[in-house]
Amino acid sequence: MSILADKNTKVMVQGITGTQASFHVGRAIEYGTNVVCGVTPGKGGIIHLGVPVFDNVKEAVKETGAEVSVLFVPANAVKSAITEAVEAELKLVVCITDSVPVRDMLEIRNILRGSQTKLIGPNTPGVIVPDEVKLGIFPENIHHRGHIGVVSRSSTLTYEAVLETNRAGMGQSAVVGLGDDMIIGSSFVDMLQLFHEDKDTHAIVMVGSLGGRFEEQGAAWYEAQTMRKPVICYIAGSDTTFCRHVGYAGDIITHGRITVAGKKKILSDAGMIVVDNINQIHQELLSILTNAETID
Amino acid sequence: MDIHEYQAKQILNAHGIRTPKGKIAYTALEAKNVAREISARGPWVLKAQIHSGARNQGHFLEEKAGCNGGIRIVHTLEEVYVNAEAMLGSTLVTSQTGPNGRLVSRIYVEAYNKVVHNFYLGMAIDRVSSMITLLVASTKDDDITEIVVKNPEKILRVPLDITGPTYAQSSQIISFLNLRGKSEDSFHNFVRGIFKAFVAADALMIEINPVGVLKNGEMVALDAKITLDNRALYRHEQYEHWRDDDEIEVRQLKASRYGFVYNEYDGNIGCIVNGDGLALAMMGLMGTTAACTMNIKGGADRDKIAAGIKIIATNPKVEGIVINILGGFVRCDMIADGIIDTAAEVGMNMPVVVRFEGTNRDEALNILKNANLPIVIADTMEEAVAKIVQAVEDGE
Repeated sequence: MSILADKNTKVMVQGITGTQASFHVGRAIEYGTNVVCGVTPGKGGIIHLGVPVFDNVKEAVKETGAEVSVLFVPANAVKSAITEAVEAELKLVVCITDSVPVRDMLEIRNILRGSQTKLIGPNTPGVIVPDEVKLGIFPENIHHRGHIGVVSRSSTLTYEAVLETNRAGMGQSAVVGLGDDMIIGSSFVDMLQLFHEDKDTHAIVMVGSLGGRFEEQGAAWYEAQTMRKPVICYIAGSDTTFCRHVGYAGDIITHGRITVAGKKKILSDAGMIVVDNINQIHQELLSILTNAETID
Repeated sequence: MDIHEYQAKQILNAHGIRTPKGKIAYTALEAKNVAREISARGPWVLKAQIHSGARNQGHFLEEKAGCNGGIRIVHTLEEVYVNAEAMLGSTLVTSQTGPNGRLVSRIYVEAYNKVVHNFYLGMAIDRVSSMITLLVASTKDDDITEIVVKNPEKILRVPLDITGPTYAQSSQIISFLNLRGKSEDSFHNFVRGIFKAFVAADALMIEINPVGVLKNGEMVALDAKITLDNRALYRHEQYEHWRDDDEIEVRQLKASRYGFVYNEYDGNIGCIVNGDGLALAMMGLMGTTAACTMNIKGGADRDKIAAGIKIIATNPKVEGIVINILGGFVRCDMIADGIIDTAAEVGMNMPVVVRFEGTNRDEALNILKNANLPIVIADTMEEAVAKIVQAVEDGE
């Protein structure tokens, strides 16, 4: 079992013919990902990376039965690409593209409400289930199949957290990058929920950062659960420096200035294991493992 | 991208929002002339144009600017001239600029509007709910600076649908603010106008502090701050020339030309990384010892690392550099080559600690070892920071 996708999931790639997409999708196919088709408007009919390319999502789904989509389209095409994917009722869209205008993301979130489709990203390295499926741009060689679920906002820190699970001699059940943009499709709550439902996941590593209240939201969800898996949490950032800002609205919207210390306190009050330094994660993982009764 | 008040007011005017009659001036003489143009007699308001709020409570670093803040009400043309002369070319420090302040190179001259009532209105994006949210507070007893800290519950938050504020929502705000009957239509149009401006300009934040209510019930935006979404600037060529390089530190500007994100602090260690999260994590480890962080982002290569090191080396506070590269598809050996190139070109006269992880890490470490440079290698982030802090201490 795994979350979001497995080796049988039929994967579509929107924007498959681009240079970046060609490189990363080629590697994903080699990894074992079941890529069944691509979509690039105007290039329908060609074969690229060994799979058929279609002009639009609807046609691609009809012909291949694709269930999830990975997006590599340019930022200005993201809104229409996701709209198409939602209309075709795909269950998951992973948006690798960064720098999507915020207004477009607000409209996308509006389209997603009440739809069948879950969005991960934008500006994410994607999702990887080691040895099964890669929906994104992760370097494959650092990942090993195991029982730790990893979820992170920042791309580079996702890798760092994965390395920590490796240092502890454990692998990953799945690794999810939520994306580091202002508006994102899925939150910590969504992933904590999936990892809790997943029998293959025994503990969760969560990497947060300043900006927004996504970690606090995750903590509130976690606190309310009766069956809880151990969550080890790290928050990137520092409170010791002056941060220049214009106006008051930013602080008002987040109910006061966001600090690392404040976030850590909320997470640890909710029962999560909070580390001060990302390189302490492996030690915490090992101490959980020695209390083996907490693990299935 | 932040823009100046007078630019923000142009955007608002285009969406039917009323603002006091005003003009921009770059010299004291110009200020006097535009003041006469705006109104035959005073008072006028002189407003220093820097990217910051709280200008009124701010102070100037230079003596010639006097003890008053960055917003001055003046009554005669002579006062316009004298105060404009004092503020132009001076440095204004506010609670939002940091201790270095900002150079005032232009002044917005406005007619003084007599208002019977005023309040705070902001519009920003709530990331968790992914909704544009309207923020309103009465500023009768306290100004917004005080309210944010002491009584945040006195701020009304109204999440807006993608179609904008409804009539019911503006009615709710009107009774919250206790505005008189004749302000009702005026307020609804005002708040619709702000929302239209927000969406049309691809804004991330609009703040009117304060909105004034005139005797006839009409709303006037006495101040205006707008932050625009950089990701959407391609849709707004007309704003491109509003980018104000004077508001950006020199090294930050240089770094931005390479697409790097650069920030300065008060410590003595320079830090180069290839990701926003990594930069934050390194800040967490370095704390007050950080002099600067530079994120050279994805697609880092030999030339980019060299450019990054050269910019950091011009920061006089930097006494040591720590480089932390996580190679996904970035090849660490190419980064190592870049470090060697730069060392040969500019000479390495300070300690450098390097941590590589990922693709071709071992090759990269060999390159550094064989180069016979005083470069220290670290295995983890934590170790890298510990080693650079030690090396800088030893050097002192």
